[in-house]
Amino acid sequence: MHGAPAEHRAVISGVGQSAVARRVDRSGLQLTIDAILAAVADAGLDLDDVDGLAMFPGGGSANLPGYANGNLYEVQDALRLRTTWRQGQVEGMSLPFYGPALAVAAGQARHAVVYRTVKEGSAARDAGGRPAYGATKPVAEGPLAWLLPVGLLSPVCQVAPYATRYMHDFGVTREQLAWIPVVQRRHAGRNPGAVYRDPLTVDDYLGARMISTPMCLYDCDVPVDGATAIVVSAADAAADLRAPVRIEAMAGVVDGRPSWEQWEDMSRVGHATGAALWARTGLRPADVDVAQLYDGFTIEVAWWLEALGFCGAGEAGAFVEGGGRIDLGGELPLNTWGGQLSGGRLHAAFGHTAEAVRQLRGEAGERQVAGAEVAVVSNVGGIEAGAAVLTTY
Amino acid sequence: MTAVVGIPPAITEETQPFWDAAAEGRLVVEHCDACGAESFPPRGICRTCRSRDTGWVEVSGPGTVYSFTVNHQRWLPDLEVPYAVVLVEFPDHPGVRVAGRLRGGAPDDVAIGMVVDVGFEPGPGGTSIPSFLAR
Repeated sequence: MHGAPAEHRAVISGVGQSAVARRVDRSGLQLTIDAILAAVADAGLDLDDVDGLAMFPGGGSANLPGYANGNLYEVQDALRLRTTWRQGQVEGMSLPFYGPALAVAAGQARHAVVYRTVKEGSAARDAGGRPAYGATKPVAEGPLAWLLPVGLLSPVCQVAPYATRYMHDFGVTREQLAWIPVVQRRHAGRNPGAVYRDPLTVDDYLGARMISTPMCLYDCDVPVDGATAIVVSAADAAADLRAPVRIEAMAGVVDGRPSWEQWEDMSRVGHATGAALWARTGLRPADVDVAQLYDGFTIEVAWWLEALGFCGAGEAGAFVEGGGRIDLGGELPLNTWGGQLSGGRLHAAFGHTAEAVRQLRGEAGERQVAGAEVAVVSNVGGIEAGAAVLTTY
Repeated sequence: MTAVVGIPPAITEETQPFWDAAAEGRLVVEHCDACGAESFPPRGICRTCRSRDTGWVEVSGPGTVYSFTVNHQRWLPDLEVPYAVVLVEFPDHPGVRVAGRLRGGAPDDVAIGMVVDVGFEPGPGGTSIPSFLAR
């Protein structure tokens, strides 16, 4: 790499969220506006300072009802923004702030907002349960053409074979992996904004109904309604910002086949992203104070614990067992907002990024990790993969 | 056999021959006339040497289960559960992995490494979908 990484010329300046709940009776547009107004105020900026706008994912890529709300044109019109950079990001962008960070680093915008708004809670209820992937379309297109017809009808079913293979290859057990949702629920109990806050035990987990083996109900994140907005600003605007957070490094490498059923080694996911990430910074896994690792499903946390080098391949089960390491006060407090498993499926690490920013600012309330200076954030893994190191400014 | 409930595939220029063969009970994958490598799913280009001079070859099996899941959730009305879906690889066809249903035994009897025979069953939208047979 020549010179400092481009992401050093960008900071995360604001995060904001609408109400997040199983059901919020507001339109996608109103939820989006709530989140953007909160994020821009959080940055210490005014709407007239915003000159970049990105919707994530861009319209038209939704295969699930309620998946992508807050139309880019309507949001820009409603907020009366004049933009010099705009994007309806495809979900293939490794992390939602990746594109905006490059835009401000390149001088295309000074303060860019990226948002994601989901109405999946309402959509699930209206459908009488979690709907099948592609349920809004008459036929399964692209990679889904090989998944939906044979009965892999949900992301749960599509990711489950990874967990099957991982547990088989390394002898990791459900009793070990249970600690991920159990400890995250403990964190959620300290987060007034989390969706599920009542205690969860390992026995509750082991007694829960199977969705798609080996994944049970508590291995799956929670469909919700809600919006998250992130403001990414030029680093040289820091003096105008209330509490910016540095982007120390970010990476997103897809080095396997980008179809859920075709990924070559289902026991190793995200490792190339981890290697690329640490190559962009002098910091090391041992320097990380708090981890916000994508948890659409429990197994994804195991991927990232290993891929980012917090433990060796096949060791995530032993790493989380008993819960001590990943609890507050442990060596790696994990998904301190409850994660998507208890905090709600805000998708694409929007919730994880918002929490990382709060932790680095010391604004995480009862769940604050004392003295947090370095955070990691990751997104999905495998066919979509992104990870970043964020630090105090 | 009653057709399984699901969402039918979009059939494209690249995938039409696969679904046509499936209707005849044959599993075919792309074969590269330039380098001999096989590719699946079909892309109209060899994933090994990137030649666009591709044809088709039949995979007769048997195959081996690389991984699997047993689905218990009724994602669609009238979907019969539980059922096992297996990801099958073939010793004589490196790089080919096909997802399909498993029949011929209880869903929970599925295991990694299990040997299965190639088969099909009536699927959504009048298609014939991969449905492997436990030995």
